[in-house]
Amino acid sequence: MKKELTFDKVFNDLTELVEEIEDDEIKVDTLAEKVKQANELIKFCETKLRTIKTETTKLRGEK
Amino acid sequence: MPDSIKLSELVNEIDEAIKNRFAGRTFLIKAEITDVKKQPDKRWCFLKFIEKEGILITTEIKGVFWANTYHNVERFEKETQQTFASGLEITCRVRVRFHKRYGIDLEVLEIDYAYAIGKLELERKQTLERLVKENSTIKLLPNETYTTKNNRTELAMVFQTIALITAPNSDGQRDFNKVIDKNKYGYAFSVTPFLTTIQGDNASQLILKQLKLIETSKENFDLVVIVRGGGSDIDFKSFNDYELAKAVAMFPTPILTGIGHDRNTSIVDLMGRQHKTPTEVATFIIDNNMNFEAEIEDLKERFFQRVDELLDDAKDELASIKQRIKNLHPTTILKKGFAIIKLNNKIVTDTKAIKVNSELQTIMQSETMNSTVTKKIKNEKGIDI
Repeated sequence: MKKELTFDKVFNDLTELVEEIEDDEIKVDTLAEKVKQANELIKFCETKLRTIKTETTKLRGEK
Repeated sequence: MPDSIKLSELVNEIDEAIKNRFAGRTFLIKAEITDVKKQPDKRWCFLKFIEKEGILITTEIKGVFWANTYHNVERFEKETQQTFASGLEITCRVRVRFHKRYGIDLEVLEIDYAYAIGKLELERKQTLERLVKENSTIKLLPNETYTTKNNRTELAMVFQTIALITAPNSDGQRDFNKVIDKNKYGYAFSVTPFLTTIQGDNASQLILKQLKLIETSKENFDLVVIVRGGGSDIDFKSFNDYELAKAVAMFPTPILTGIGHDRNTSIVDLMGRQHKTPTEVATFIIDNNMNFEAEIEDLKERFFQRVDELLDDAKDELASIKQRIKNLHPTTILKKGFAIIKLNNKIVTDTKAIKVNSELQTIMQSETMNSTVTKKIKNEKGIDI
């Protein structure tokens, strides 16, 4: 099962991707895969910042 | 039976006696007040001054502020940020009055604010000292701020789920929600209200109760926010309560306060993370998410800039390979004055195949020459071009 992404994880993964491709040893033929991953992470952030799972919470403050 | 006198005669005499004794004199007294009834529309305030031994009231006398001194009540509330209400001990200047129908009372001329403030500050100082003394995780820093378990807890990179402690239908709740709901970035939030009384005698206990309720489902919230409407300067007392302050200091989820006051910082503010107003808390929350998105945007830019760079490098490399291939092409070589020698329509690479009298084709860039070999000489000393 795929683990649910968190903002922390996305941030770390994206930072790692940037560092990987900034390395001089990077092979151009791995680039397509990395671009795909980066795009997915960025899209996740942009979407998740603007949507929220509406969980029906039982908690309500008492008057 | 001697002659009786009229009631008014006696009361007049009492009046006379009191006047003789008290006319023109004022007294500075210190006493507890109770049964405070404010009438802001008429600008009157009725109360009782009492003195106790233990729980027994031993002395009691009516007191009153009239319209010309009612501003004292308002100023008291503003200066001390607490409601002028029963249970307070105040120092004030009074004069003794007697009315033939309403009896004796003390008219308050002015309140000693310094005393009231001093007393509050002393209480506040004692509470803070007790918090540090009795809780090893609460520490006073050299800059007069406090570090607690709560305000040391790291904030989430993005805030989305918020538990909002507020009074029902309050300005604070409205101000907070307005900023959250109308944020121009379109960020989504889930704000769960925990409604309670924010002011009054047992407000601190009620707020505490809501905190405990939130703690039972703390994994549902990124943040706890406590707000109170702006403008309500008064009644700060609940936010200086020891038990509430301690609960805030120990609370596992970061607490942001926006209790709407400029002049003072409550103890609860010091134990959590203070913002001045509900609007400022909401703005902080949105800015936090915006900063996160900006960081993602930076990474995105860095990433694609590097991708472009890598692709450009690859293109350059490809172009240079093409150029090298072009440089090696026979037509490029012929242009430089070299020739191709063919024997029987085949390019000669080994001169062994060429004999004297062989018919050769010499192909240069613009013309081809046919010739016959007349002599073969070894290039013993290399080629002299």
